[in-house]
Formats: sequence, C-alpha cells, structure tokens
Amino acid sequence: MPEEIVNTQAQNPKEDEPRIGVYVCNCGGNIGDVVKCEHVARTLERLPNVVVSRDNMFMCSDPGQKMIADDIKEKGVNRVVIGACSIFLHEQTFRRTLERAGLNPYLYYHIGLREQVSWVHHGTPKEATEKSIRMMAAGIAKARNMKPLEPVRLPAHRQALVIGGGVAGLRSALDLARRGLKVTLVEKSHYLGGHMAQWERVFPTNEEARPLLKRLIDQVLAEPNITIHTGAEVIGAKGYVGNYNVTIRQTPRGVRETFPNEQEAIDVCPIKRRKRFDFGLSTSKAIYRTYTGCVPESLVIDWETCTKCGECVKVAPEGMINLDEEAQEFTVDVGAVVLATGFQPYEPFYGEMGWKEFPEVITLPQLHRLLDDEGPTQGKFWWNGHPVKNVAIIHCVGSRQVEGVHRAQPDGNVNNYCSRVCCTASLSMASLIRQKAPDAKIYEVFEDIRAYGRGHEDYYTRASKNNVTFLRYFAEEIPEVRRADEKAEHPLLVKVRDHLTWGEEIEIPVDLVVLSVGMMPNPVQDLMEIFKVTPGSDRFLLEVHPKLRPVETAVNGVVLAGTAQGPMNIQESCAAASAAASKVSALIEQAKVELEPYVARVDPDKCQGSGECVKVCPQEEAIELKTFSENGNTFQRAVVTPANCNGCGVCVSACPNRAIDVQGWRLDEYEAMVSAIAADIPAWEGAA
Amino acid sequence: MTTETPQKGKILLLATLSGGYRGADMVGQGHMDYPPNTYILPVMSSAIFPPKFYIDAFEKGFDAITVMYSGTDSPYKGESEKTAEIINETYEKMKELNLDLRRLRLAAICTVCVRPFLEEVQRAESLLEEIGPLPRPLAKQGVAANVN
Ligand SMILES: Cc1cc2nc3c(=O)[nH]c(=O)nc-3n(C[C@H](O)[C@H](O)[C@H](O)COP(=O)(O)OP(=O)(O)OC[C@H]3O[C@@H](n4cnc5c(N)ncnc54)[C@H](O)[C@@H]3O)c2cc1C
Repeated sequence: MPEEIVNTQAQNPKEDEPRIGVYVCNCGGNIGDVVKCEHVARTLERLPNVVVSRDNMFMCSDPGQKMIADDIKEKGVNRVVIGACSIFLHEQTFRRTLERAGLNPYLYYHIGLREQVSWVHHGTPKEATEKSIRMMAAGIAKARNMKPLEPVRLPAHRQALVIGGGVAGLRSALDLARRGLKVTLVEKSHYLGGHMAQWERVFPTNEEARPLLKRLIDQVLAEPNITIHTGAEVIGAKGYVGNYNVTIRQTPRGVRETFPNEQEAIDVCPIKRRKRFDFGLSTSKAIYRTYTGCVPESLVIDWETCTKCGECVKVAPEGMINLDEEAQEFTVDVGAVVLATGFQPYEPFYGEMGWKEFPEVITLPQLHRLLDDEGPTQGKFWWNGHPVKNVAIIHCVGSRQVEGVHRAQPDGNVNNYCSRVCCTASLSMASLIRQKAPDAKIYEVFEDIRAYGRGHEDYYTRASKNNVTFLRYFAEEIPEVRRADEKAEHPLLVKVRDHLTWGEEIEIPVDLVVLSVGMMPNPVQDLMEIFKVTPGSDRFLLEVHPKLRPVETAVNGVVLAGTAQGPMNIQESCAAASAAASKVSALIEQAKVELEPYVARVDPDKCQGSGECVKVCPQEEAIELKTFSENGNTFQRAVVTPANCNGCGVCVSACPNRAIDVQGWRLDEYEAMVSAIAADIPAWEGAA
Repeated sequence: MTTETPQKGKILLLATLSGGYRGADMVGQGHMDYPPNTYILPVMSSAIFPPKFYIDAFEKGFDAITVMYSGTDSPYKGESEKTAEIINETYEKMKELNLDLRRLRLAAICTVCVRPFLEEVQRAESLLEEIGPLPRPLAKQGVAANVN
C-alpha cells in the first residue's frame, strides 16, 4: 500500500476572527419570485459577525462570483454563506471562487434555497422568506465555528479496473491505456464484446456489428497497458479511491488454445445445450466456440452442462483440454474502477403477448440472430422450417410500462422508462427483412416511434417507403396475440386497436411475432455491495447527477460506463465510456488523489484515551490508541489515520468526552445551527 | 422581531447527503409543495448525533425531528446500525421526560425517494396537528405522556 502523504487541519491566524459574507441568490426569479431575497439579505446583515450581506440575480454568474471575491479581498470577509440552488450544483463553483480570492475553500457554507424553499413553498411566500432567513441564520451560525480545512491527499495506483468487456468497457479500457494508465479488464463471459457481438448489423451506419467490434478489440489487444481476464468476476474489494485491492475469481476456459481438429472434439461431445449467444434459438455442444472470430478464439467448456466424460480430451492434442482445472483467485491493486456491466434484454412473462405460449413468438434479439448469416438459419428469414411471409414487430415490450396495466418486476416496480434503442433497432430490422424477403408483409405495431438520434429517422422513412405497415396502439390497450384457426394460412393473429385509423380494431394474420423487448440492467447486486454504489428506481446504476456529473457515482473513484447506467445505443455507450475514462485518468494519473477533508479528528486536549472510538469504528485501521509520554507521564490518546477514515462519524457519538469530530461537519456546528433556526430573528426596518 | 406565522411547531429534518438530502432536492425539482415549518439540515452521517443532541433540539424549539438517513443503502458501514442504536437510547431519555416518542423518527430516505420524503413530512405535520408543539422547558413541565 502506498504511503500516506498528508492530512492536516490548516492553520491561518487571519481566518480566526469570523468576518462573514452572506449572499442570497435570486436565481433569475427561481428563488426571488417566492422568497424576498433583499429582505433576507437585509435581515441577516444585523446578525453578529456578518460584515456584508447581499442579494444578487445570479450568484453563480461571473459578476456574482466577482462580488464575493471582491468582498473577500476588500472587506476582509473570511467566511462565506451562500443561499442559492442545490449544493450539488454549485458547491465546487463557489469553492473555486474562494480559492481564487485567496481564502480557504472550506470556509463556505451553502444553503439550497431553491430546491428546498422556493420550489416547494410556492403558495406561501411570506413563510418561505422567513424560512430562508432561519436557514441562512443557521448557515451563519455554522460559519462562525468553521475552521479552514485541507483535502486529504493520498498516493494512488496508476491502474484502473474495468468491469465488463462489452463495447463500453473496451472503449474505456482503451482510452485509459492510451493515457498511460495500466488497465485490468475483467469480463464475466468467455468472449469480449458483450451484446454488440450478437447483432447482425447496427444502426445508424448499417455496418456489420462484429467486424466493427473487432476493430475495437484489436486495438485493445494491441495495447500493452491492458491485461484482460475473461471468464472472470470481481468477488471482493478492500480500500478506497486510489488504493483498491480487488479480488478476482477466474473460471477456467478448459481449453488452452485453438487446435487443428477442434471440430472432432466438438463432434465427440455427447452433450447438447441451448446456445446462449443465439438467445436459445440453437444448440451447441458442451465444448463450443461462441462465434467464429470471437476473442479469445479458442473453444470453451460450459461447466454447467459438461459431464467431464473426457471424450474431447481423448481426441484433442495432449494437454490441450483440461477438465480438472480449478477456478483461480487473485488480487489486483487499482486506483479507480469503471463499472461497465451492461444490460440484459427484458424477459417477457409467460403468456405476455404469446411469449413461450406460442413458439412463433420471438424477441428482437432473437430476430437479430435469425437474420444473421452466422445464425441458426444462416440468415434466411425462415421459422419452423418455412419462409416467413407475414411478420409483426410489436414495440415497447418491457419498456414504458404502466402501473396497473403491466405486470411488475419482483421489486414491485414496472419498467416505466423508455429503452431508447428498440425503435430504431426494430425499424432497421424491418429494412433487413425487406432485403431478405422482398415479398414479406411487415407490420410495425408501435406506441410511439422514438427515432431520436442522428440518422435514426431515416430508418423510419425507409421503412415507410419499403411498404412496412405501421399500426399504433395505446399503452392502456396493449396488442393481443392469439392462435389462429387450425386451417388458417398463418398460425397467429395479432389484435390491435389502431389509432392511426381512428381506433379501428384490426387483426393481422402472421407467421411470426417479434417482441421488441427493452433493456434491463445486468444483475450486479454483488458489485453494488462491494463498491457501495446504488441503483436508481429503474434498477440501473445511479450517477451523482444526471446532468452535471453524469458518469460518476456517489463513491469516489467508482464511475459508470455504458448501459450499466441506463439504456443507450453504441454511440452513447462509447461516449459515456470515454467520459468515464477521462474522469478516472483525471483522478489518478498524477499517482495521487485529493479527497474531501471530512474525516474524524481528535482534539488531543479533550481526549482521555477511553478507547470508545476505537471500539465502535467500523473501518479497518482508521483509528487507534497510541501511547504518549510527557513530563514523565505516560498516557493514551486516540489517533486517526485519515486515509482509512471515511467520515462515518460513528466515533463522534460514542466519545464520552466529545473529543472527536468529523471535520467540516462538527457537532458544535450542528448545535449552533439548531439554536439559530429556533432563535428569534431581528426584524429589518425596511420590511414591508 | 419578525412576526412568526402561527405554526403547528417546527420540524427538523436531518437528512444525509447520500440519501434524504438529495431526496429533498428531488422533491424540489418536482416542484411539489410541503409546509414551510420544516427545516432540513444536511448531514454526512446520521451517526454523529448523541441522544443529548436530540433532547437539546427539542428543548431549543423543535417539536418533531425526523432523521432521514440512508438506511441499508448508506455508503458508510455501521452508520445505520449506530444511528438506530442512538435513536433507541434517545427514546429512553424521552420516556424519562415524558416526551411522545413519535416526535423522533428514523426513516430511510433515498436519493430519489420523492414520495417517501413527502410522506414523512406529512406524518410529522399530522402528528403536530394531533399533539401540538412541545411546551418548554421540557424537564420541568412534565409534558403530557402519550408514549407509544
Ligand atoms: C435488440 C437490440 C439491438 C440493438 N441494436 C443496436 C444498433 O443497431 N445500434 C446501436 O448503436 N445500438 C444497438 N443496441 C444497443 C447496444 O447493444 C448497446 O448500446 C451496447 O451493447 C451496450 O454496450 P455495453 O458495453 O454497455 O453493455 P453489454 O453489451 O451488455 O456489455 C456488458 C458486458 O459486461 C459483462 N458483465 C456483466 N456483468 C459482469 C460482471 N459482474 N463482471 C464482469 N463482466 C460483467 C457482460 O458479460 C458483457 O460482456 C441494440 C440493443 C438491443 C437490445
């Protein structure tokens, strides 16, 4: 583990006597239309230690920030209290303002007057104004007690871990490596590329998916900074940003490398299994190759179905196949982690639009495999041994679900989000079907067409010109799929109330129904627990802020890439992956990280060495009792290791002598805030 | 003095930055109204407050306190268990003071918990409507027992 560098509470005598600047932002009317900002500012200027109290239309604007900086320089302001929009939006902006003006950036407190006052008390402006005064007074009370702080600076491993080897993980790994960082890429399956490898061709360029993917994989393979582990999963991690020690378990492949008589080894295998790569549309042996040209290329054993009969071993060159290989565990030290664990297609419930009830109902991912030249029908648009003449593609299955109409997932929530890619993916498949089966009748049964990206709308136009029939349903009345009469030419009927023809009920006879299923996150509960990241209500991994910090999680050093975070197409997945790589490299490329200084700090004058803090501390090696001697007396005092302390504060409430606090969030500051909110407030004479 | 609007009492919401405080922001972003006698303080970790802090807050002028912590979703190991332990200890002290235990509540509120946030606020409001603000000072007064 690298050695710790520094964490000290900064000392600056000039900052000891509080001279508080108070700033109330109108937020262009977002706050000012409800809260009388001038009244708030005028009232607060009468409080002790306040040397200046102002309101402004936009505190975050350049003139707003300059006003604060000028007050620091010219009026000796040494504590700043700002009432504005959410703390999560502009905390960093204002910290930098203080820094530029030469003041310690932690001598600032922020109150979210917009999200927590004006936007929630529209109808009660008088009370909202009074509440703002009290909240700002609390900030002033805290500011009086604030001490300058310095960030915790830690050495960091210049190495990143990327979890997931889909297009997002590959892109992230490559970007990181090209910035000179070492990268460990961990992929759960035995091949690289994720879902992109399963698609025939991809919008918006119509390129064949696998050759396109191969270009990226080749670049990754050529990068000496990247180490790849397939068949591998993260099973544990210790540490914190800059210094994660991650345990990885790798399932053996069973086959060392490619060999000439591979087909013979496959042929002698007595086991048949459903091929996951083809979404169950075909079978393979227990020794198989995922697809021609996959990386790694060698065959792999499916341990779930392999009986270890040894037939393949007999025909393969000696030592080539090892059925007794055991899983291996090893650790890597990394400074940051990219979660690129991707998505899984929505799995309809039994009977949902005929799913599993009728064999002629498949999903869009299965259609991709069906139309693939290397798929189960070698690309022929055939089903059940016959060419498909009529096909209906039903949109929004498992997406944009409505509570009460659709069946909820086990967590009780329906998938109310749009999966974004399925519309264009369905339209592009309609074009491909038209190419392969020029006479087929193609029906797109949709709720709304959301072909939102550059070039996506062209697919809609092309499909319309290509005699694709569009029928529009509404979510409250989803299409029904049922079996046609035995003698009917087409085995299924799709009943839909079509709102393009004024609600007419139409029954379409079809040979095949394709459910355009949405995206759900891959289940990564274990990783969420290991890295303490949280999901959103849609179960995808959650970013800190969807607009301002879109790829960072609430955990320092853990970032998101691609569809682990939400439905995205390849372009968006790669953009997010590159953003994640930038965040990681900015964080660790200097071989050190700076963390917020919010860690426990012991007051040696108050500490009696009771050891209660050590007993309750849940972190490893964050606090210990050390023996000191002074004037011949030996005594014990608690000592914090800032790098190992995460500021959980469990020690604060446990200390019988109030000798320990979390810097920046001290108990005495809260006591002062509570008193200030409860206290009477001096009136401003100018009040209306 | 600014004239204080007659209110049912003051409600203190201690909301974790990794949970309830963001939840409160989400409520704001949704422009959903709730009463203004609610004062939200951001906390890094809900485990820092000893029982005395809560009793003092009641004494100083708060009539109901809800700790909106992150529950099992807390990024801090041990935070939720320790907070629950402290709240239980505080209940013991509240019993000694004849304080209605419903005035102090621990609720897990996540970053996107808009509805649960509003429900918690409503619960505290309804409680104060039912039992009113606290007469002070606490210890001497012997507040009416309504301990659940
Ligand atoms: C039917 C369909 C058609 C589509 N067509 C197009 C198209 O034409 N054009 C387009 O731009 N987009 C298309 N998309 C979207 C595209 O597939 C995604 O944008 C892309 O695959 C996302 O890549 P990813 O790396 O985020 O996720 P994935 O492709 O899901 O890759 C994630 C990887 O992480 C691995 N993993 C999961 N969990 C773990 C773990 N715990 N440890 C290690 N590894 C793990 C998985 O095995 C997988 O390899 C389509 C999507 C669907 C459903």
